[in-house]
Amino acid sequence: MQYDDKSRVEKAKKRAVVKQTEARNRVELFRHLPQYEHGTQLPDLETKFFELDPMHPAVYKVGLQYLSGDIRGGNARCIAMFQAFKEAIKDYSTPPEKTLIRDLTARISSYVSFLIECRPLSISMGNAIKFLKNRIAKLPLALSESEAKSTLMLDIDRFINEKIILSEKVIVKHAVTKIRDGDVLLTYGASSVVEMILLHAHELGKHFHVVVVDSRPKLEGQLLLRRLVRKGLSCTYTHVNAVSCIMQDVTRVFLGASSVLSNGTVYSRVGTACVAMVAHAFHVPVLVCCEAYKFHERVQLDSICFNELGNPDAISKVQGRKEINYLDGLVNQENLQLLNLIYDATPSDYVSMIITDYGMIPPTSVPVIVREYRRDHLWS
Amino acid sequence: MDFQVVVLAGGNSKSLTPLVSKDVPKPLLPVANHPVLYYVLHQLEESNLKDLIVVVEGEDAGLLVGAWISGTFVDRLHVEIAAVPEDIGTAGALRAISHYLTAKDILVVSGDLVSDVSPGAVAATHRRHDAVVTATLCCVPISGSSESGSSGGKDKTKKPGRYNIIGLDPRKQFLLHIATEIEKDTRLQKHLLHAVGQMEIRSDLMDAHMYAFKRSVLQEVLDRKDTFQSLKQDVVPYLVRSQLKSEAVLSGIRQAEEDGNEKVSFPNNQVMVSQILANASTPSFHELYSMDPDGSAQTRKTHKCCAYIASSSSYCVRLNSIQAFMDINRDVTGEADHLLSDNVIGPSPKLGTKTTVGPHCMLGEGSEMGDKCQVKRSVIGRHCRIGSHVKVVNSVVMNHVTIGDGCIIQGSVICSNVQLQERVVLKDCQVGAGFVVTAGSEYKGESLARKEK
Repeated sequence: MQYDDKSRVEKAKKRAVVKQTEARNRVELFRHLPQYEHGTQLPDLETKFFELDPMHPAVYKVGLQYLSGDIRGGNARCIAMFQAFKEAIKDYSTPPEKTLIRDLTARISSYVSFLIECRPLSISMGNAIKFLKNRIAKLPLALSESEAKSTLMLDIDRFINEKIILSEKVIVKHAVTKIRDGDVLLTYGASSVVEMILLHAHELGKHFHVVVVDSRPKLEGQLLLRRLVRKGLSCTYTHVNAVSCIMQDVTRVFLGASSVLSNGTVYSRVGTACVAMVAHAFHVPVLVCCEAYKFHERVQLDSICFNELGNPDAISKVQGRKEINYLDGLVNQENLQLLNLIYDATPSDYVSMIITDYGMIPPTSVPVIVREYRRDHLWS
Repeated sequence: MDFQVVVLAGGNSKSLTPLVSKDVPKPLLPVANHPVLYYVLHQLEESNLKDLIVVVEGEDAGLLVGAWISGTFVDRLHVEIAAVPEDIGTAGALRAISHYLTAKDILVVSGDLVSDVSPGAVAATHRRHDAVVTATLCCVPISGSSESGSSGGKDKTKKPGRYNIIGLDPRKQFLLHIATEIEKDTRLQKHLLHAVGQMEIRSDLMDAHMYAFKRSVLQEVLDRKDTFQSLKQDVVPYLVRSQLKSEAVLSGIRQAEEDGNEKVSFPNNQVMVSQILANASTPSFHELYSMDPDGSAQTRKTHKCCAYIASSSSYCVRLNSIQAFMDINRDVTGEADHLLSDNVIGPSPKLGTKTTVGPHCMLGEGSEMGDKCQVKRSVIGRHCRIGSHVKVVNSVVMNHVTIGDGCIIQGSVICSNVQLQERVVLKDCQVGAGFVVTAGSEYKGESLARKEK
């Protein structure tokens, strides 16, 4: 939904569970994206804890975790959502005079709209929900309720295991063949797949050095760094503003992705495009590791038409350092607009190869996979 | 949402004696003409919590409370009254009703709490962090009004002899230390400080006695430690102290519950799934402490104790002393009048000529006042007969009281069915129920009660 269309926004507000007040100073170019006052969302939602009767407590908990930023990363969000849905399906019972298929689909849709209000869905979550709705719609009518529920739960388990866990293992197996002794590998942010690749390569006994590039305000690279250092890998840590200095020593770049679109564009954490372009300028190969369930048939040419806006206070304040918060009094002024983008789009020219569970493919082959394999495997 | 609510309404209270008696147990003590329990129940009703267990000490008190509740909240709430023997403490009360508790989490509210902190917020914080106990903390109320001095007129400086020490982590989410009403020293846990790194110690917060517990852990603690009498003094500090050194049995139960629920069909993948989820969020100091130095297995069991800090604009006071009683009466009619849902002046007070009723006053229905009276910042109950030339300032007068002409009542509490004859002067007194104060007497800072037969 485009959020600069006033009438639709009003209608959505009436149906909304979470009361959100829109932020005041918004950048004109990004008016079509939702932006809410972050300070009031969580307390508002918390006070309504007991009043949301149709909401299942597990789904509510996941929504709270999204809202407060307790869970980050495409795979983790998808898994958490599915686990909450499993609980909800387990506790579900068909009301009288209604069919399981239609009612459960409606119920899941209401949960999904609640989760969207907490935080806009990532593309991987969107694909996963499509899969779930597809499986519900395809349930044979002859099944009893408990059989239908257990079938659905098995399907969800199978999805998580095949599409996320197993595909990560396959990606890791492909990717470690690209790591040689003496390599200097650069990674940006904290991607779960890239972390597994590095740890597995280390276990295999390869000698390499890792450069972790990080950026404010989320500083996700620090979590990755902590886990790598604990395992004994030799690491360097820097911020994205120094990436062109450090790129001279780097031999390969491994990046994660939130999604890969049909024209080969990699949609990932903001700053990834920067790293990829600098790597391209230094003739360093860029390998993007992405599970196939995150592919999408959309085409996106820039980072503007589809994105997510984060909390603007996160970039204007440094937590815990009151003495350098120079923007303290200025936040509400008319001529200051804070923009905190979460995602960006890396054009396919800067990506050398995409490593998926279907193998190692060039970026131009992504629509092939979407076309050929999606119908059979994802939605069968 | 899988929460059960337990309201600990108490029974008799020694600190509130002459006000509390056999006929008026503490939960039914009127604040602004509604029993104290009304505020708690009203708030729970507003938050859509309709199934409650109210625990009262003593059989008779239980009957009285039950009668009142079924009268007032006829269809709106479904309340079960549990009467427990007297003087067994809050933990003992929970032990006694332990077999009624079936939900996953329990919300324990003290019946003498007058506040507008939403129980939903406490419950949400509890669930979000998957905590074992969540305590509500609020700012310490400033006690004492500007007009009346303290009883006995001792020191003017407001130096509280007893402190509440609360230790929080830097993000103000977890409770690291809690010690209430201590006079001298308190001991901090060193390993806790080591694990967190930074602890913020505050003495301006107090425990509001609205807790959310995980039921299995609560029952476990109550079973194993049967010397624990009070939730506030024993159980909660014990859980906070042992949060990084969780006893093996506590987490053993937790693990068993979790494993029993899931179908372990892909065991290896479960490990990976939990790994992914764990990697996705910033680890709290509990997780960091429980991991081995190389980050693999979880060798030490921990549990989380969260704190919900009520915003400074919310009102939160406990009725545990006579001063608090006066303060709550004053505040509920004054600043915190959003806690009341009906009018300030009852439907039919009869006021004589030249009688002034100041702001922040409450007059119950059927009360009559004579001529030239002055009522300032007071609460007057129902069916009172007040004579002429009476001055009532900063006081609480309960139901069916007869006040003769020319009385001056200041800073006092007058219970039901009391008769004050003419020209009585009362300053900072508490008059128990059914007492008769003879004409012309003057009392200052005394507690007058009829001898129990």
